[in-house]
Amino acid sequence: MKLVKYFALAAIVLSASTGAYAKDIKPWHDGFKCKDCHDQGLKSFPSDQSCLQCHDVDDLADATKRGGDEEWQNPHNNLHYGKELPCIECHSEHQKPETYQPLCLDCHTFKYEKFKG
Amino acid sequence: MERRNFLKMAGIGAITMGTAPAAFSATVCDKDVAFDKSYDVVIIGSGFAGLSAAIEAKRNGAKDVVIFEKLSMFGGNSAINGGLFAAPNTPMQAREGVNDSIETMVQDQLTAGRGIADEALLRHVASNAAEALQLTIEAGAEYHPYLQQLGGHSVARTYQTSVSCGAGITQPLLKMARKEGAVTQNRAKFEGFILNANNQVVGVKIREGYYFGREDSGKVINVKANRGVIMATGGFAQNIKLRMAQDPTLNHEVGCTNVEGSTGEGMLAMFKLGAVPVHLAHIQSGPWASPDEGGFGYVSNYSIYNFPHSVAIHCATGKRFMNEIADRKTRADAELGCRDQDGNPLPPIMITSYEHASQHPNCKKVLKYNVGWKFDSLEQIAERFNVPLTALEEQITEYNGYVKAGKDPQFGKIMDMAKDKYIKAPYTVVRLWPKAHYCQGGVQVNVNAEVLDSMSGEHIKGLYAAGEVTGGVHGVSRLGSCSIPECMVMGMTAGRNVMKG
Repeated sequence: MKLVKYFALAAIVLSASTGAYAKDIKPWHDGFKCKDCHDQGLKSFPSDQSCLQCHDVDDLADATKRGGDEEWQNPHNNLHYGKELPCIECHSEHQKPETYQPLCLDCHTFKYEKFKG
Repeated sequence: MERRNFLKMAGIGAITMGTAPAAFSATVCDKDVAFDKSYDVVIIGSGFAGLSAAIEAKRNGAKDVVIFEKLSMFGGNSAINGGLFAAPNTPMQAREGVNDSIETMVQDQLTAGRGIADEALLRHVASNAAEALQLTIEAGAEYHPYLQQLGGHSVARTYQTSVSCGAGITQPLLKMARKEGAVTQNRAKFEGFILNANNQVVGVKIREGYYFGREDSGKVINVKANRGVIMATGGFAQNIKLRMAQDPTLNHEVGCTNVEGSTGEGMLAMFKLGAVPVHLAHIQSGPWASPDEGGFGYVSNYSIYNFPHSVAIHCATGKRFMNEIADRKTRADAELGCRDQDGNPLPPIMITSYEHASQHPNCKKVLKYNVGWKFDSLEQIAERFNVPLTALEEQITEYNGYVKAGKDPQFGKIMDMAKDKYIKAPYTVVRLWPKAHYCQGGVQVNVNAEVLDSMSGEHIKGLYAAGEVTGGVHGVSRLGSCSIPECMVMGMTAGRNVMKG
């Protein structure tokens, strides 16, 4: 009976520990491990350079280019910060997409239909 | 006020209050402080003042200059403001035949300052404003091909960037500072001063790898400043607790145009060091702001351009309630006074002829993004905003009489800029509600940008400050477009003098 208690406790502790580190990630990042992004340890945000290991800001700016008077609404080459706004100011890996919005929408009512979170 | 926006602003306030400034302390060092990094000049803050200081320090012989910015993005409030730059005796004034002078600009500001502005500082800024403007042009800034006359100014002297935003200046200055060799480091939060045994500032503590709102993120290092530290940390309009301590009317009902980092820690740390607090209660709200969008948005610049030839209408009465180009304090207080019968905020509306409003590029934007609206008749406006129609019609007719006569007996509005600009259909309308925008108060500095000690009245050696973190310059009310010249001139002044001392 003692052994059963100990095993049960161990199981609870292990599942809790596992749960503490098993964060939801975006479906397009399936297959990546924690250390692929967390270059500053798991207790901190990734560095501003982490996303850029795989993503090129110039390519992104081209992909989200806008014309005419919306030119500077390009989220990846915007009026206030050019191409220097760190990715995590708008994108979050572990939060549900419906709980946050791009930084621009703190002040503007632009449309970012393609923003997936 | 629409519930969503009201709750949004209240939420912003709640978040801000949860981020109380950390307790700062000055560390006295003899020889036992180990410095992790060393520079000639250490600049805290990356807005107009910090960037100008970096460029000038480099141009005056600084070997190493660093700008530490606590947020992830560079530019501070300077990157999101309206890009309006007042200066006397400029090339565009010469082209437009505007008769202006350093003295006239100083007098306009002294009047707005209600007798307590710092005349020496105002004269220093006005005397060097054209030079600062030239620096922005040298860096690559571009401006609209016309001057504007903002509230409280007696002549047109205001340039505006062609993108109608301060980023039209911060981006070129940032590139220029880097080109001159300045280091720029983000996520680097100032955490306190390091003094030597003689109470001179010889360095700062910086939290590297700082993420805003997570006060324990990153790691604190000691940074040596061989020549001096320049504080260019901006104002505290986002700190609701601190601003309400100075002015209880600036509660959660009043939004804020500032970036989230404008919480005032740099200023408070200087007070702990002995700097003199000046005019902290004089906090300016922007009377041109809109409750229909966050921060500075698009309506702010639209309103600034259109106030001279528009009317602001109290929705409960259908009447004007203020001089639309009085200084900001007068207008902001008048707007805050617009209440419904239960005492709740009732944002007034500004009515402009589309013919004149459409001359500014933001008109298209306010209409497109539904923070402004176009109407063909006063009836439609009255219906949409629940304004008594007869009173409104009478007011518009009266006001057009003032336009024709060139005089406003109702509120004393200077009608020069409204000449021949009658309020007629089709109309564009925006709602107005003040947002905390600028803190006139801060630490006392002299015309050398040296921070003064409250006990001795002397320069705290090694410590300089420039821009909105300083106090006393503007007095009670800062005139629109007078912040950029102040930030830049005092930033340049600090950059030069740190290399002399």
